[in-house]
Amino acid sequence: MKPGCRLSPAGDLLLIPEGALRLEGPACRILRFCDGTKTVPEIVAALLEEFPSADQAKVSEETSAFLVKLVERAVVEFV
Amino acid sequence: MRTAPQALIAEITHRCPLHCVYCSNPLQMQGSARELSTADWIGIIRQAAELGCLHLHLTGGEPLMRRDIEEFVRIGRQWGLYINLITSGFGLSRERLRALVGAGLDHVQLSFQDSEEAHANTFAGTKAHAQKLRVAGWIHEHRIAFTVNLVVHRQNIDRLEELIRFAEQLQPDKLEIANVQYYGWALRNQLALLPSREQLRSSLPVVEAARARLSGAMRIDYVLPDYYAKYPKPCMGGWGRSLMLIDPAGRAMPCHSAGVVPGLEFPNAATESLRAIWEDSAAFQRFRGEEWMQEPCRSCERKAIDFGGCRCQAMLLAGDAAATDPVCSLSLRRPLVDDLIQQASLRGSSNSQWVYRIDPME
Repeated sequence: MKPGCRLSPAGDLLLIPEGALRLEGPACRILRFCDGTKTVPEIVAALLEEFPSADQAKVSEETSAFLVKLVERAVVEFV
Repeated sequence: MRTAPQALIAEITHRCPLHCVYCSNPLQMQGSARELSTADWIGIIRQAAELGCLHLHLTGGEPLMRRDIEEFVRIGRQWGLYINLITSGFGLSRERLRALVGAGLDHVQLSFQDSEEAHANTFAGTKAHAQKLRVAGWIHEHRIAFTVNLVVHRQNIDRLEELIRFAEQLQPDKLEIANVQYYGWALRNQLALLPSREQLRSSLPVVEAARARLSGAMRIDYVLPDYYAKYPKPCMGGWGRSLMLIDPAGRAMPCHSAGVVPGLEFPNAATESLRAIWEDSAAFQRFRGEEWMQEPCRSCERKAIDFGGCRCQAMLLAGDAAATDPVCSLSLRRPLVDDLIQQASLRGSSNSQWVYRIDPME
């Protein structure tokens, strides 16, 4: 996550300089994994560990799409 | 049930070592003798979090003029708020910034008056530019969000490309290029500040080119002067809809310049609960919803987008706070704004007539 972007104490909101984004479903889980050390495949693997019944291809695709959106909004950066 | 305010804007002092000719503070400021105590502000910040606010904006004046600001950062963060500091950088040292970040500061918005020191100091009425450059360096020692706010007007907008290249060297996450908006001291100095239509038109491709060039490195927000807009801005996200401002003396207001609207009594946040102020006070109810609207707002499909524009501007320019914001092309009073633009074009080249913002008396 970029400097100045963080999860709210309750974990349901992403606080950013311009305001806040409401997080739904696995969004919060994904962001918790964005610590600057994990690759996207590693994040997908961690999610699949938590949700073993989920479809791997779908999780991978949706996680990537979500992260691309966050990069566009300057919330996340690849390091 | 009404939604909670999204942010509390804490104007903790009107004192400021700068004297910017476009300061948005009211002409009648609150002196230091009337400022709220540390305990008052702590109580207010806690209540704001309980009410559901997400952001705390520490601003002024120059908020760093208050020695207890670090405590406000710490308390706000403890209560879960996102902490923004809106500052000129004056009064900051490397150590003080480190303490503020340690207390939980999330984001610094640092203002610049120009890229050239001599110009910058002229607009600010203070030798502040060199200090701002030092502060920008210190900010990069921390993992916090950094926005550079660059104020533009008729005296510097022609050098926009140079200004952007300057800001780029400061390496902020975001550059906010803000055209002056005409309230407070800026309205008083309008003739020297309002750019011509041609100046403004020429600035647009400069911003577009910079956005394309800097994509992925630095985001650019460009705030246009609303006098040139077709439709008004949704001022403060609508009156009493998403923001609450508290002035240095504790007056709770829906907007920075709400004091210009006659007949409004602002409840004091040091003595009344923030929730009661937000939900029940007459001042916050006054222009909430759509009941108060006149034509053309009342039957306009944009009323849910811009809420009729700015109430203070309607008061300042049309003499009626419930009128459609005169900058709107649908307003019958739009000629008032066109006149101001024309006056500035005819008479407004020199800066010799302008009045510097003074520091409030005790």
